[in-house]
Amino acid sequence: MLGPFLETLIGGLLTGVLYSLVALGFVLIFKASGVFNFAQGAMVLFAALTLARLTGEIDGREVHLANFVVAAAILGTALAFIAWYAWREFVARGGGPAEGQRMAILAAVGALIGGAVAWFYGKGAWPLWVALPATAAIMGVLAYAIERLVLRHLVNQEGIILFMATLGIAYFLDGFGQTLWGSDIYKINLGLPKDPIFLFENVFPGGLLVEPGDLVAALIAGLLVVVLAIFFQKTRIGRALRAVADDHAAAQSVGIPLNTIWLIVWTVSGFVALAAGVIWGAKLGVQFSISLIALKALPVLILGGFTSVPGAIVGGLIIGAGEKLSEVFLAPILVKQFDLAGGGIENWFAYMLALIFLLFRPQGLFGERIIERV
Amino acid sequence: MKRSRVFNEVLLAVENISLSFGGVKALSDISFDIAKGEIRAIIGPNGAGKSSMLNCINGFYHPQQGAITYKGVRRSQMRPHEAAEQGIARTFQNIALFRGMSTLDNIMTGRNLRMKTGLFWQALHIGPAAREEIEHRQAVEKIIDFLEIQHIRKVPVGQLPYGLQKRVELGRALAAQPELLLLDEPMAGMNIEEKQDMCRFVLDVNDEFGTTICLIEHDMGVVMDISDRVVVLDYGKKIGDGVPDEIKGNQAVIDAYLGVSH
Repeated sequence: MLGPFLETLIGGLLTGVLYSLVALGFVLIFKASGVFNFAQGAMVLFAALTLARLTGEIDGREVHLANFVVAAAILGTALAFIAWYAWREFVARGGGPAEGQRMAILAAVGALIGGAVAWFYGKGAWPLWVALPATAAIMGVLAYAIERLVLRHLVNQEGIILFMATLGIAYFLDGFGQTLWGSDIYKINLGLPKDPIFLFENVFPGGLLVEPGDLVAALIAGLLVVVLAIFFQKTRIGRALRAVADDHAAAQSVGIPLNTIWLIVWTVSGFVALAAGVIWGAKLGVQFSISLIALKALPVLILGGFTSVPGAIVGGLIIGAGEKLSEVFLAPILVKQFDLAGGGIENWFAYMLALIFLLFRPQGLFGERIIERV
Repeated sequence: MKRSRVFNEVLLAVENISLSFGGVKALSDISFDIAKGEIRAIIGPNGAGKSSMLNCINGFYHPQQGAITYKGVRRSQMRPHEAAEQGIARTFQNIALFRGMSTLDNIMTGRNLRMKTGLFWQALHIGPAAREEIEHRQAVEKIIDFLEIQHIRKVPVGQLPYGLQKRVELGRALAAQPELLLLDEPMAGMNIEEKQDMCRFVLDVNDEFGTTICLIEHDMGVVMDISDRVVVLDYGKKIGDGVPDEIKGNQAVIDAYLGVSH
């Protein structure tokens, strides 16, 4: 009995890590702008689509050369900026602020080189180590566009207005991704071993079955969480971010540039979306339904608290494990006792749990307590 | 009881500022200057445009006409975080603290601009970033001592009483080591003791750090006591400007406060 239980538990926890990854993207943006970013799921889909099509085998499904050239140009620009930044940080320490003109020239040179290389290389499957940074750079550009075109004009607006804006972004991205990359189901091949691993074979008969892909996902998620938690709790930028979330005007008055902070946050949550997209895509294939996993993140957020990075993780784990355990162990009991058809618990369990939490602990397990002086 | 001091250098000059919201004229053709090292008060009845004036200086509002010269540089538009970078700090009429954060963290945000380590070290939180954090923490502890708020260091500011919140807000502004400090009604809603404390802090800041202070205040006793010069606004127009004694005897000012029909 213990063997199957542990196996289900581990499987559930590893799925939960994937929920956590999606929820993490929500938490980041919520912390910095108090907005529930409905577009997070669309960002996951967009990132996964981009990566799948840049690495994908071209079996009859056309990807135009222009796509590769543009992607390479964006990657080139990003690399140029990183080189510039590293140079300032490590070689010319304490140098003055970057001048706009030099930055523009640098960006142009990076884009030209990147574009030219892609042009000569021709269209075709890029190796993962090129496609991954290229997708990350594209997510950065996307964040910049969202900040510049949408958010900047909505400073000091009500949360609901910002929420509606993200709704618009979500539908735009869903469609735009498919306009660029096509709407078939694609594969992402991470080159991981496909064969399941059996753990503790000498303790349990037959051992515990674990998918290596799930293990890698858990590792990536764990790493992301540690880095993000430190980044947002302990550093100057993290503090600036929390300040922006609390009060726009006050944050500006102490010299925090609102736009830069939003750009950073959306970029980081774009990266998180990429991580989630890669893992989900490798597991289930890249398809439209990926954008719906955003809805799975909702109960995770309610459980963990909208403002807590560790909360997103623990919430994800609880939901993942709870779902699987209830499906495997609760369903047979229901079937037996009440003569039901059984099954389907996995689909509503998370929401039921969230509902109970809303009643008793609305701020979630780790959320900031809501203090209101009247 | 008023110290009479002499100031020569102009830190900030406001020239012919006009600001309107739609059809409402908030400020019309206002000019005055703030000398380096002085305590300058802006007074006037409710809705006179005092806060609008501070918001222009600090970059929240962009006046349609006129210019502001700060440290010899004339500018027509500036964004708030740029103003902060150039040494202008402020507090708000309705306290604008980061409610979820502790007193310490709130004041630390004031140091934000002075922290220079790059993103890379920030992300790793080692090396220069950690050293820097400690350095700034020390500076912040000094401010906490100065304002006598050691006991609430770790308390989320949302839970503090009003008077203490005002003090924390002053602390956050001081943390930036500003040259020009804008205080929007620092003593509003305080009892006598709290007001006396706040007066003492304002005077000490001015004396010890040489910070130039521009404050809006309704308590005439306080204004006349602590400020070097006073500018009076009414309905967006300047109706008086001078040392406290001149203002006390200014008929236009007396009329504005007593409500003579315009």
